[in-house]
Amino acid sequence: MPLSWALLASFLLAAAGYVVGRGRALASVGSDARRLHSRPNYHGCSVALTALLPPLAVLAVASALRLTDVLTDETGAVVGILALVAAIGGLGLGVMRIGQEFQARNVVERMVLGLLMLCSLIAIVTTAGIVLSLVFETGHFFQIYDWKTFLFGTEWTPRFQGNSQLGIVPLLWGTMYVSAIALLVAVPIGLFAAIYMSEYASRRVRGFVKPAIEVLAGIPTIVYGLFALITVGPLLRDYFAQPLGLGNSGTSVLTAGLVMGIMLIPFVSSLSDDIINAVPQSLRDGALGLGSTPSETVRQVVLPAALPGIVGAVLLAASRAIGETMIVVLGAGAAAQMSLNPLEAMTTITVKIVSQLTGDSDFNSPETLVAFALGLTLFAITLVLNVVALYIVRKYREQYE
Amino acid sequence: MYDTNRRVENAVNLNDIKIQARKVQVYYGDKHALKDVDVDIQDKTVTAFIGPSGCGKSTFLRCINRMNDTIPIARVEGQILLDGEDVYDRRVDPVQLRAKVGMVFQKPNPFPKSIYDNVAYGPRIHGLSRNRGELDGIVEKALRGAALWNEVKDRLQEPGTGLSGGQQQRLCIARAVATSPEVLLMDEPCSALDPIATAQIEELIEELREQFSVVIVTHSMQQAARVSQKTAFFHLGNLVEYGDTDDIFTKPRDSRTEAYISGRIG
Repeated sequence: MPLSWALLASFLLAAAGYVVGRGRALASVGSDARRLHSRPNYHGCSVALTALLPPLAVLAVASALRLTDVLTDETGAVVGILALVAAIGGLGLGVMRIGQEFQARNVVERMVLGLLMLCSLIAIVTTAGIVLSLVFETGHFFQIYDWKTFLFGTEWTPRFQGNSQLGIVPLLWGTMYVSAIALLVAVPIGLFAAIYMSEYASRRVRGFVKPAIEVLAGIPTIVYGLFALITVGPLLRDYFAQPLGLGNSGTSVLTAGLVMGIMLIPFVSSLSDDIINAVPQSLRDGALGLGSTPSETVRQVVLPAALPGIVGAVLLAASRAIGETMIVVLGAGAAAQMSLNPLEAMTTITVKIVSQLTGDSDFNSPETLVAFALGLTLFAITLVLNVVALYIVRKYREQYE
Repeated sequence: MYDTNRRVENAVNLNDIKIQARKVQVYYGDKHALKDVDVDIQDKTVTAFIGPSGCGKSTFLRCINRMNDTIPIARVEGQILLDGEDVYDRRVDPVQLRAKVGMVFQKPNPFPKSIYDNVAYGPRIHGLSRNRGELDGIVEKALRGAALWNEVKDRLQEPGTGLSGGQQQRLCIARAVATSPEVLLMDEPCSALDPIATAQIEELIEELREQFSVVIVTHSMQQAARVSQKTAFFHLGNLVEYGDTDDIFTKPRDSRTEAYISGRIG
């Protein structure tokens, strides 16, 4: 509690500092604001910021120290008082500095720049933190489990009493199979929908169709999962798998792949639509002016020009497909097996991460820690995909003015 | 006003009319952008359209190959006859029409393909060659025709977008020439180019005239005077005056034309 009180007090001091700083700046020139270097507001802001930043820094350092167990909870009051002292000190310094010649505007500019840099730093540091936590736990896992068995083992049979087979290959296979089917569904449909919307549809049709497709993107994936579980799965089983003698499972790779593909359609179409619209009209005019039909124009000029962006969109969709969980849990089943038959139940890396971490077993057992190794593998795959996407986009990018 | 030494004297056969426009009206939505345009454009002649911005000269140019069809709110009335055949006739396919009436745009717009593929684009979609060798020949001829061959013959497979602005525009001319059109429309082809590239294009236009009729929209009256034999002056959607370039620039009949060429309006 003392910490939040200290934080609140610092904000109040900063607000007071704004009023005082503004007033003092005006007073220093006898209320003739034109004689000041900076507008009175800037003086107020500079005082408020010098009062607010030191206590924030104190609090941030204290929380970091407490995370690493240097400080205990009992030191909270001390930290709170320290923060208050820092706030008052900053306020005093800020008020003292004010005068006719003080360049408050430049000071505020620099502080704003610092704030913006801090925010972008936070995004990067957090990502690094996520990766590091994955790496550490994965390290623990590989200390108690052979990495070769994990990476190349073709059997996935976790047992809670120990002695499990934890090979990633069947999970990887399931992930890739489901994602491939999803992309086979989503890429052609999404791309053709995007071409229709950007090249053929009238403004009225487009105004109706585009939002309608984007509604699909707003559906929670668990709802897609339900759709897979109660509609698509039984349908495929009753009308394809059983008559063709290909299996008897209500959950299957094909079910999850189809539903996931539907989920990705708005993703692909919306991104592709934006990219196709960004192709300059002059290229279309050029092609049409040479006597191309609209479809020749799209095929030979617009799509090649938009290709880097479209590849990027497809790879982004692939990342989504690989990381998708709920649809697979409900649609594809939980059986870790390798099969070519798309009508059989299989499972993916994400599903197994969930099931390994939601069990009751000891956190330090390989059965639990394997989840982090799986997560790191997933992260590595999507990272490679993104790097490849960036490379392709750079290599084939054409410059338009 | 203009350089008489560069003007080209020529004997045009007045009966050889390529394009006849009669009572052409264009509307953009409610706006009446072009009113009652009557004009006869001759074969193997350079015809310049001049006039202040928004006067309808580009609009009329885009009627000739029906590029206005691509603008949903544009509506065209009246007749435009190409070799006596109405291009707005129901039976005319705008795609085939545009193969006969090539167009070069204001800003160079090479496709994101190699130089070779840019020029080969038209011949390929229209099936003008039977084999690779023939296509090579068409590409070389078009590039020579556009005075670009010597600069690019060693790098035909490099992207067309990597050329300089003037080279890109000549590539676009080569691309239009490669489909062997009967008419070449040019919409301010030099407005994005520097004076040297402009001079090269103008020289090229003079050579292209031997093969087909060239219609050029230009903002530069000096350019119209240098390259064209016929000039049409548009003002506020009307075709004000049309005649021999010499006459338009030396003894204009209409006071608006005189005001424009002497710089008082526009």
